[in-house]
Amino acid sequence: MVEAGRSPNIEILTSATLKSIKGRAGNFTAEVFQQPRYINEDLCTACGVCTMYCPRPIADVYNERLDITRATHIDFPQAIPTSYYIDPKACLRVNYQTCNLCAQTCTAGAIDFSQKPKNMKLKVGSVILAPGFGRVGHDVLEKFGYGRYQDVVTSYEFERLTCASGPTEGHLVRPSDQATPKKIAFLQCIGSRDVTCGNGYCSSVCCMYAIKEASVAKEHEPDLDISLFFMDVRTQGKGFDAARKRAEEKYGLNVIRARVPKIDQIDSKLALTWTTDDGESHSDLFDMVVLSVGLDAPEDAHAIADIAGIELNSYDFCKTSHGAPLSTTKNGIYVAGAFQGPKDIPESVTQASGVAAIASELLKEGRGSQTITVTYPDEDKALEEEEPRIGVFVCHCGVNIAGVVDVKAVRDYAASLPNVAYYEDTLYSCSQDALKAIAQKVKENRLNRVVIAACSPRTHEPLFQETLRSIGLNPALFEMANIRDQCAWVHAQEPEEATQKSKDLVRMAVAKARLLEPLAQPTVDVTQKALVLGGGAAGMTVALSIADQGFETVLVEKSKVLGGNLRKLTWTVDGQDARKILKDLVRKVEKHPKIDVMLDSELESTSGYVGNFTSTISTGGKTEMVNHGVMVIATGGKEYKPKGYCYGESRQVLTQLELEQRIAKGKSGFKTTKNVVMIQCVGSRGEDMEHCSRLCCSQAVKNALKIKELKPDANIYILYRDMRTYGFSEDLYREARQKGVRFLRYTPDNRPEVVKQARGIKVNVYDRLLGEEISIPANLVVLSTGIAPGENENLSKLLKVPLTQDGFFLEAHAKLRPVEVAVDGVYLCGLAHGPKGLEEAVSQAKAAAAKAAIPLVKGKVAVEPIVSRIDKATCIGCGICASLCPFNAIQMVKEGKRKKAETITASCKGCGICASHCPVLAISMGGFTDEEIFAQIHAFSPDGCGEGSEAEKK
Amino acid sequence: MTQEGYNPRILGFFCHWCCYAAADSAGVSRYQYPPNVRVIRVMCTGRIDVRFILEAFRCGADGVFTGG
Amino acid sequence: MAEAARQALEDIGVDPGRMELQWASAAEGPRFVELITKCVDSIKEKGPLGTASNEAGDEIQRRLEAAVKAASASKVRTSFGTLSKKFHKEGDYSPEAIREAISAKVTPAFRKERIAQEIKMLLEKGPMSVTKLAKSVGSKKAEFEKIVAPLIKKGVLKEEKKGLALA
Repeated sequence: MVEAGRSPNIEILTSATLKSIKGRAGNFTAEVFQQPRYINEDLCTACGVCTMYCPRPIADVYNERLDITRATHIDFPQAIPTSYYIDPKACLRVNYQTCNLCAQTCTAGAIDFSQKPKNMKLKVGSVILAPGFGRVGHDVLEKFGYGRYQDVVTSYEFERLTCASGPTEGHLVRPSDQATPKKIAFLQCIGSRDVTCGNGYCSSVCCMYAIKEASVAKEHEPDLDISLFFMDVRTQGKGFDAARKRAEEKYGLNVIRARVPKIDQIDSKLALTWTTDDGESHSDLFDMVVLSVGLDAPEDAHAIADIAGIELNSYDFCKTSHGAPLSTTKNGIYVAGAFQGPKDIPESVTQASGVAAIASELLKEGRGSQTITVTYPDEDKALEEEEPRIGVFVCHCGVNIAGVVDVKAVRDYAASLPNVAYYEDTLYSCSQDALKAIAQKVKENRLNRVVIAACSPRTHEPLFQETLRSIGLNPALFEMANIRDQCAWVHAQEPEEATQKSKDLVRMAVAKARLLEPLAQPTVDVTQKALVLGGGAAGMTVALSIADQGFETVLVEKSKVLGGNLRKLTWTVDGQDARKILKDLVRKVEKHPKIDVMLDSELESTSGYVGNFTSTISTGGKTEMVNHGVMVIATGGKEYKPKGYCYGESRQVLTQLELEQRIAKGKSGFKTTKNVVMIQCVGSRGEDMEHCSRLCCSQAVKNALKIKELKPDANIYILYRDMRTYGFSEDLYREARQKGVRFLRYTPDNRPEVVKQARGIKVNVYDRLLGEEISIPANLVVLSTGIAPGENENLSKLLKVPLTQDGFFLEAHAKLRPVEVAVDGVYLCGLAHGPKGLEEAVSQAKAAAAKAAIPLVKGKVAVEPIVSRIDKATCIGCGICASLCPFNAIQMVKEGKRKKAETITASCKGCGICASHCPVLAISMGGFTDEEIFAQIHAFSPDGCGEGSEAEKK
Repeated sequence: MTQEGYNPRILGFFCHWCCYAAADSAGVSRYQYPPNVRVIRVMCTGRIDVRFILEAFRCGADGVFTGG
Repeated sequence: MAEAARQALEDIGVDPGRMELQWASAAEGPRFVELITKCVDSIKEKGPLGTASNEAGDEIQRRLEAAVKAASASKVRTSFGTLSKKFHKEGDYSPEAIREAISAKVTPAFRKERIAQEIKMLLEKGPMSVTKLAKSVGSKKAEFEKIVAPLIKKGVLKEEKKGLALA
């Protein structure tokens, strides 16, 4: 969010609605209406004084109306833009021309009632729809007592109630009597998987978020008794099953598989009655009930569809197809996130990147024509080299710091420190006008080092460094003392100690600042070519997208044909012809002038770093070198080969993929078929592999329905643990049940057994409703075998990209950077990342293409200046650093007779393992040198600890 | 034996990405903890050299907290 | 790193429990608070540096200075770096294995160097008898002689009537 807010090429229009779109792909005119905020974003410092004085209370919508805020407010402290706004419906000044208190109290002069609503026309090349999801209707919640019983809350409300920044500061209380509840029930599938409310689909995210919310509640109140009522536990996300298992064990959550039809209140308790799948009926009393509300289509879905001229699906989500999940029915208009279908954060972020790739393909002609590049004045090198003249600015942060710490005393203390040439206290040092004032003071006093004692460098360092750059100072000549987040806020009851700690932190910061040196901000050129490993659906999609964005792409496929696992599919889950999708992809890839396909080929070795990789590809014994700037891992996965279940012993036992091939041949293969038994989770979810393979449940119902088409009187049994037909696949599951497919749940301690008989085979399974084991004679047993990781170990070692415990490649951040990996310039998509269906693989491939194209488009990559530097004269070439570096960022190069270590600055992340392990202290870290850290340690001692002692001199 | 009124001086080395961030988030949530720790931020605990720890004790630290 | 530091602290008579290595991820504010509070409490329990029962009293300052120098010596650092490389390569990071390896490879080198540094520091104030020196640096006679002999040979120290002196 912060990044989007900071980018000069992203203009954020808040309180804005789309009125019309005219034109066509590449050349649209969008009409946008914008409500005024009545507060100037550029002037507002987000100090909050206006809210304090505003006399008009309104419900705090961000906190689910559990709290009140004022007409003048900000939704939450981290909101972007970080500026308050005025609710025009409630404001006295806007409606009655009275009050005006906020304008009188705002010291920044940011309140502006002269703002008027605006209509604007925007020329754009493409439109991306990401309106998110809507709320499930109140009437649905009322069926479960919501609104009638105070202690029935929605999961949104529960989230706020357990949040430290929520209305109760994280103290869990029940609304009726503000007492801490002892026993809580979570009811799943509220407004999901429920045709009576019109939402037949599964919302995909509620099972996991309920487990998360239950865990958070247990963290706050360890003695809580929490029961969760699921129909199926659908934690199919990557690593989710493991997280669920940990939570269940750690917090002792009661998982109950049943749907609670309704809730009654008995005295101050809530009574729940339910029936489990063994036919037993139960009831119990709870203090609080949480409704795990599903994701609905946005309320204004129809309006959006009308304006944009796109079609919706039967549930009012945006209509797309599995082969092209990000394209709406109108060219040039794309979709991402929950409007395309309910989904979790990783998939939403992935789609967001993916849609950027598609827009970039469309708009490549005009690329760069309207971008803004920020330029800075040249650095004043002479000033930087002078004796340090340090300016110390101590921030009040309104009352955030000054309410606890004696800011003026800290400021005066700073004055006593050596080399401090200027000192001042500021009300809000991060506000626009304060930044200008700081810049002014730095110039006036010829300061060449700046220390700001305020909040955290993690959030604010870039802002202040930007200010330094804007006046010709190297951004490395800057240091922060964190006297808010790590002092005033956490020692609120101890003002004296907090003031002393602030002084100490300032002293340490000044000591470091004295030694700071300007750091070069190098850039390296990028070889504008991509290497894609793997020629399956994901790999081909990546290659096409990068090539369509205008860059040469080499596609390396291990086998002799393109297609990967897609070759084995006949239909997609949404009923499209998978072979046609395959044919189209292969044809486009083969015809594309910018794609070079290398079949029967494998990556042998890779060296280099983002922008400048050199890889050796071997093709049938011959090798070839390829220079490229980025690389995408799309090496896929493989169908798990089952052990046991008579697989390989009987021709009547197949895998789902094998079944699909038989179905493709038509009716003839099912002439004598009477009974078909499908067994889910073969190999998955703890049998052999730990993970859930995510797609087998949808695959099984898809194939069951196909058999029903070919042979309507066939009896089909699906033996499952949890049916995980998430999203719109739930429709197939329902259809299958309606068509008579029988679903029997089994538990992992009582797995079905396949027995070969003299004639044919039978499957023994425990029937929970009957309470006894039954035998099903079967003509066909189909094993849902799931996805096993490919041979990833070798590639993982080669590229230094770590694997998950399950053997898939590990992304850089599960939620925020789902297609990037720990090594810069290397991206990830498809089954190599984890099990997923075609739709998700295609979205992910587009996302990887978008990320991979960034360095290619820029042509240069900026290097973080905090990298390691190796003094070659001191280096003894032992190679310890090179072998320890987690990012492959140190190489040994021959210089004369000896080998010397050399940092590949583009790959270095500045972790410093090399420096702390160098035997001869030849490595120094930019911004964190030995000298700087020793200076901080010495300054830790109030008397300086014999500064300049022998120890720190090499 | 706990000494009354004794306020130890502790030096912390915090990893930018983990512990330093955790400390910030403790602040945002206004959790309270004793004010005895002074912090040196590093980009990774891997940066921490045995020398730093020994030097911290030499400079009067009663304890050193390294947080990854 | 932590294990090497702990053993070094132990060698110079600082309670190794004064150094904590803990993990808290960015989202774990509450955990961080718990860890810090525990750490402060545990140090309070131990009292000021040098007063805990297993700690060297007055000598601690000199010991620490010698220790920092020793930890900068390339011999000590090489043994540490080489060991880290080995662990990294073999991927076995069990605490027992690390403890054992550090105490076999790194700590002896560190101790030797630390004692040598401390001898030099003590002799800067003037010559001193062997018995007193050995006692001051906390070394037994056999070990002490082993450390001193090469220093004399290299001409760093010389033998005098009163004992040893800087050359």
